[in-house]
Amino acid sequence: ASSPAAAFDLRGYWTSLISEIETALDVAIPVRFPQRIHQAMRHAVLSGSAKRAPPVMCVAACELVGGHRSAAFPAACALEMVHAASLVHDDLPCMDAADLRRGRPSTHALFGVGMAVLAGDALFPLAFQHIVTCTPSPDPVPPSAVPRVLTEIARAVGSTGMAAGQFLDLSGATAASEEEVLVVLEKKFGEMAECSAVCGGLLGGASDDEVEALRRYGRAVGVLYQLVDDVIMESNGGAGKMRSNASVVRAVGMDRALEMVEVIRAKAKKELENFRDKYGNKVLPLYSFVDYAVERGFEFEVEGAANGGNVDGNS
Amino acid sequence: PSAEPAVAAAFDFKGYMLEKAVAVNSALDAAVPLAHPKRIHEAMRYSLLAGGKRVRPVLCLAACDVAGGRESQAMPAAVAVEMIHTMSLIHDDLPCMDDDDLRRGRPSCHRAFDEATAVLAGDALLALAFGHLSDLTCYPADGSVSPDQIVRAVGELARCVGAEGLVAGQVADLEATGLGTPVNQEQLEFIHLHKTAVLLEASVVIGAIVGGASDDQIERLRKYARCIGLLFQVVDDILDVTKSSEELGKTAGKDLASDKTTYPKLLGLEKSREFAEELLKESRSQLSGFDAIKIAPLVHLADYIAYRQK
Repeated sequence: ASSPAAAFDLRGYWTSLISEIETALDVAIPVRFPQRIHQAMRHAVLSGSAKRAPPVMCVAACELVGGHRSAAFPAACALEMVHAASLVHDDLPCMDAADLRRGRPSTHALFGVGMAVLAGDALFPLAFQHIVTCTPSPDPVPPSAVPRVLTEIARAVGSTGMAAGQFLDLSGATAASEEEVLVVLEKKFGEMAECSAVCGGLLGGASDDEVEALRRYGRAVGVLYQLVDDVIMESNGGAGKMRSNASVVRAVGMDRALEMVEVIRAKAKKELENFRDKYGNKVLPLYSFVDYAVERGFEFEVEGAANGGNVDGNS
Repeated sequence: PSAEPAVAAAFDFKGYMLEKAVAVNSALDAAVPLAHPKRIHEAMRYSLLAGGKRVRPVLCLAACDVAGGRESQAMPAAVAVEMIHTMSLIHDDLPCMDDDDLRRGRPSCHRAFDEATAVLAGDALLALAFGHLSDLTCYPADGSVSPDQIVRAVGELARCVGAEGLVAGQVADLEATGLGTPVNQEQLEFIHLHKTAVLLEASVVIGAIVGGASDDQIERLRKYARCIGLLFQVVDDILDVTKSSEELGKTAGKDLASDKTTYPKLLGLEKSREFAEELLKESRSQLSGFDAIKIAPLVHLADYIAYRQK
């Protein structure tokens, strides 16, 4: 049987969403007084080569359960803001000490360490403010959906989520067991994807069962994506970008890592079965995400985004 | 009605503050359990539960009371503002910012732990503040606080702590410190209104929102909070030049030693004290339209901020 994903143009779907997201983010972070901090925030968020996977997953989950794209869009942008805030802080000299991010100077390299700390500190609240101000309410979004989305995002980036992942990664999970390395991947990468799928579902009016299925699906895809990154990097003899010190391949070996890829891929698809029965082909975007995470069948060339955001806000 | 002033005068402010601080501390303790990974939660608890008068959460609870709400309605907001306050102190003390080794009489967070943990503990407290404030399950089950009120409170807090609020004050402060030239009173007021007053404003305003205040009441309470926020900083500047490190529990004379502009440097000590009096008077006038008994905590909090010794 042919793969159901074959009929769906994920690249087209994703690419068109990316340019919508870039435009919305550009508008959401205007340069105001004090200018430097807003420029630093723009530099952190509007980097042209970003894949914007969290917001795309958020929008896709919302549309899957019958929600309108506009309901999920502010939350989708907010996910990118908190994601960027985490990366800015992860790059700091006292953490990963990364001077480059996506081929450009990292925020602290360009604006100074103090300003980078503050840019991250400002992007978190901006994300919450953006959701509160821009999400259409009460129609089509149910009244309790917005607070629930805010709570989900706060939890995902917090001390048991991404901050925990970064902490564990820093404190040397490099040479750890399979279980410990997987925890780092789940916290550092699974949380964001999980949160993205859940927020989209909540804003689209998903039932509680559906939200929990999206939660498991999102977490699996986030871990899967990073796991495959790991495999690709180790296959290239260790060359490539380091997104984490915790390498699954080094911890469990290539054979076991490849086995895990297939297990998690199957798990992610299984979570979508009930959605396929209920919503039919609307499941295709989330379904094809899973295969993309493994196969990386295409590259992104987004028109107008290749040069990155204009930090001065004149774009 | 003729007995009102006597009732207000008899208000046991010390007892009130102690009672509220106990309630707030126990809510803070419960809000940050020692989950995995332990070390980051230890750092969060180290800074969050270090003591302090809990002025911001008490302001939040008091504003809710003035608006006619119950304490349980405002406790999530009270916890949130203290978390934000603590995270801003943790990040402020970092070597790349104010580079301060001492906070509330103990080693600052990055000294007691390390820089990376301090950055992450601050980030985690920031997230937890919003998580707590937005979490429907943190509120009374009777629906006395609606999702709309919660969303409005989150928006208010986010605006107050972001790049147009708290962070704007820190940026302006950071940039002014590096210049080596003194700032004028307008710039100094910008720094303080954003660095200090804005969080007192958020505390009072979100307390009022979850307590069910009208828009008009919210705006009057907002003005009250701005006055006492600026007052707080003017008094802080005065204490920095008139008290020792031991008395303050933090490094004294630091502003004097650095290029930092303060009210005493700008206006002189006497004029700074007069300015403080004016702000106190203005804050009181904003409370005049409210229930005379219910405003007692807010009146006394303003006095406390004006006349504190540390």
